[in-house]
Amino acid sequence: MFVQSRRRAAAVAAGALALTLGLAACGDDSDPSEEVSANRAGAMEDYKVGDQFKATEQVSFSMLYNNHPNYPLKNDWLFWQELTKRTNVKLEPSAVPLSDYEQKRSVLISAGDAPLIIPKTYPNQEDAFVSSGAILPVSDYIDLMPNYKDKVAKWNLGPEINTLRQADGKYYLLPGLHEKPWQEYSLVVRTDILQELGLQEPKTWDEVYTMLKAMKAKYPAIYPFTDRYSQPKPTGNLWNILGASFGAPGGWGFQHAIWDAAAGKYVYTAASPQWKAWVEFLNKLVSEKLLDPESFTQTDDQARSKLATSKSFVITGNAQGLVNDYRPDLAKNPAAKLKKIPLPIGPAGEVNPQSRMENGVMISSKAKDNKNFVAMMQFIDWLFYSDAGQEFARWGVEGTTFVKGASGKLELAPDVNVIGLRPNAPKHLQKDFGFYNGIFAYGGKPELVQSFFSPEEQEYQAIVGARQPAPWVVPPPAPFNDEEREQATLWETTLRDYVDQQTLRFILGQRPLGEWDAYVNELKTKNMDKYMELQQKAYDRYKKEHG
Amino acid sequence: MVTLGALKRPTRRKRGIRPTRGYRAFQVVNAIILTGVVVVTLYPFLNIVARSLSDQASIISGEVNLLPKGFNLTSYEHVMSDPMFWRNYRNTVYYTFVATCVALILTTTYAYVLSKKHLKGRTFLVAVAVFTMFFNGGLIPNYVLVTSLGLKNSVWAIALPNAISVFNLLVMKAFFESLPVELEEAGAVDGLSTYGILLRIVLPLSKAIVATMVLFYAVSFWNSWFAAFLYMDKQELFPVTVYLRNLIAGSTGAEFAGAIAETDEAQVGATIKAVTIVLTTLPILTVYPFIQRYFVSGIMLGAVKG
Repeated sequence: MFVQSRRRAAAVAAGALALTLGLAACGDDSDPSEEVSANRAGAMEDYKVGDQFKATEQVSFSMLYNNHPNYPLKNDWLFWQELTKRTNVKLEPSAVPLSDYEQKRSVLISAGDAPLIIPKTYPNQEDAFVSSGAILPVSDYIDLMPNYKDKVAKWNLGPEINTLRQADGKYYLLPGLHEKPWQEYSLVVRTDILQELGLQEPKTWDEVYTMLKAMKAKYPAIYPFTDRYSQPKPTGNLWNILGASFGAPGGWGFQHAIWDAAAGKYVYTAASPQWKAWVEFLNKLVSEKLLDPESFTQTDDQARSKLATSKSFVITGNAQGLVNDYRPDLAKNPAAKLKKIPLPIGPAGEVNPQSRMENGVMISSKAKDNKNFVAMMQFIDWLFYSDAGQEFARWGVEGTTFVKGASGKLELAPDVNVIGLRPNAPKHLQKDFGFYNGIFAYGGKPELVQSFFSPEEQEYQAIVGARQPAPWVVPPPAPFNDEEREQATLWETTLRDYVDQQTLRFILGQRPLGEWDAYVNELKTKNMDKYMELQQKAYDRYKKEHG
Repeated sequence: MVTLGALKRPTRRKRGIRPTRGYRAFQVVNAIILTGVVVVTLYPFLNIVARSLSDQASIISGEVNLLPKGFNLTSYEHVMSDPMFWRNYRNTVYYTFVATCVALILTTTYAYVLSKKHLKGRTFLVAVAVFTMFFNGGLIPNYVLVTSLGLKNSVWAIALPNAISVFNLLVMKAFFESLPVELEEAGAVDGLSTYGILLRIVLPLSKAIVATMVLFYAVSFWNSWFAAFLYMDKQELFPVTVYLRNLIAGSTGAEFAGAIAETDEAQVGATIKAVTIVLTTLPILTVYPFIQRYFVSGIMLGAVKG
């Protein structure tokens, strides 16, 4: 009996899947927004940029909720009440611990049990769900979202959005959009040591080398530079920011294929001369005992311990690492001064290697058959992409959580605290009101994004934000289809392991750099060429089919 | 006085054989080695307790060993002032209790049946259990199954899918097989039913294995978080393991990069792991002494004669 009903459920699910796929396939010919004309219950007739969205009847939407322990979900937050008041929409959050959000999201989507709105999804995380048909191709419905379209056009985000496109030419994620790229990781330096040695803050990686040299001359017993973020892969952060400055990011930012704008084609990142150049640079630091060789394997706490006990003066990090980790770690040494210096410049020039897209929202394909579908898309458009919605999610309600200053600048209300700006205020913008929540508040204009940044971080952003976007950050789309992706993933795993392993050997001097050509040949035996052919094929096909 | 001395000597002798020099040397060496073992096993735990009570700067610079430095209770306050923590703690106790009871009943009865050599289809029943040791449906089918049975958001989603651990089942089966069959036969001759034999003869003689199973199951349910994380949709239903796991992730990960945690949150980040270990390990540790007294061997000596 039970087995039978399960089987029937499976058959229904398979049928539904086939149907959705079929529909999606038909979608190319007919106008998808016409398809949903039946599902307009609660939607506004004429909704455009600048309008306050308000559903014509009370509607509610289920939503996956990434529950942050610093401001755990409360159902009586002003955020929910005010949201319902303004938009007539009630959100039904299903709370998932932040610690394992991605896993639960994946299970729910695969089991067909996902809520309609699935936020906190980073670009490319949606790839895994595309072939199952469980996720809505949102690109078909952006006509329902005037604010989104407006921001994409006004901020010229078209090329970035194109990188999200799948082999069918559609994209399945509504990304968070920044007007300006927001680059945050760099080197953190003991400025009191710089002063002691009479050195200037380094502006380029060559000056970083000079600085480390001078530190080593004065303190020969120590490694002036030690680094963290080595779990699971060696110095994920350093390889990323240094690699980006040379034009071939590794570590956290590693992509197997990188767009070579000059040559007009994709090349394999870890076999490029740019990659070799930064590996040589790190090798120089290690062999002259300027960079701690343990950096690539130690835990974060070990690295922090070395900085805290002045066994080292330079480490990488972001504003959070600086304020939450390094400064309190050094609390017992009042002479120590730390600063996050603007990202040093390398051979790639004054570029900002950060993308302007952030985590965003996926929509379950079930939503399309919901009678409130159009209202839902308009609601998402208002909350996540309109100026008013973004301000509301971040700052809250005027008079209660914030006030407008004389110059029209927003300020926290006197009795409201957030991230320690008013330590003695009785209420908390996130914990007590539910605003400035990572699920709803991200992206937007720089002044909004940087609302609650400390002055030193705003200064950092003013310098790095003025740099040109790096050319490889917005490559032309070259999406794999399903079979290609499966094959590529197999090759990627072995290639990545080998790249990381050999790069580390080159850096530590265990393998002489003279063997670089041999290394490139070894990559070829691990299918590097076939991988690049696949990439080229995907690029050519996309160009032919979708321009 | 002489008589007294004469009287004393025999009593002394009765206490036992005078230890030889070799035995004494053995005792000294033994004591030293075992003290070493105690230090080695206890030190990490004491160190964790000390870390949980220290401040960030002292921990990071490696100054904390056995005693806390820069005494600090922020993390304990932060965790224990949250009503959700206590609520989830109550859930953990409740889930552990229910799941352990269910698991114990099912495992005992299954194992007892399997220990009977004359049972028809016994090999098949063993094979069914052992099969699940090596193969399972996988994450998503399990999720679909539990959801469509309507177990989501209830204690049964935790208790039922994990009710029988095959390893425990086999251990118990082996124990029951080692019980002398004559005892059960004697019970049957005296008029006991099958259940009477199990309840009045076999179980009272199996306290050691039952205590072991209680310990195994209770500890595993106490520590488990994945089933609850998967099948519970509301934070009020989570066990404390999920709560603390999330707290660790939140204090170590960077959600709003560029945004700065409040000072107490930074301190929490430094000690939260240690605090978590102390808060979740202590209660289950206190269970051990109560169960340990059942770990007695040789209880069966002399039960069967002839």
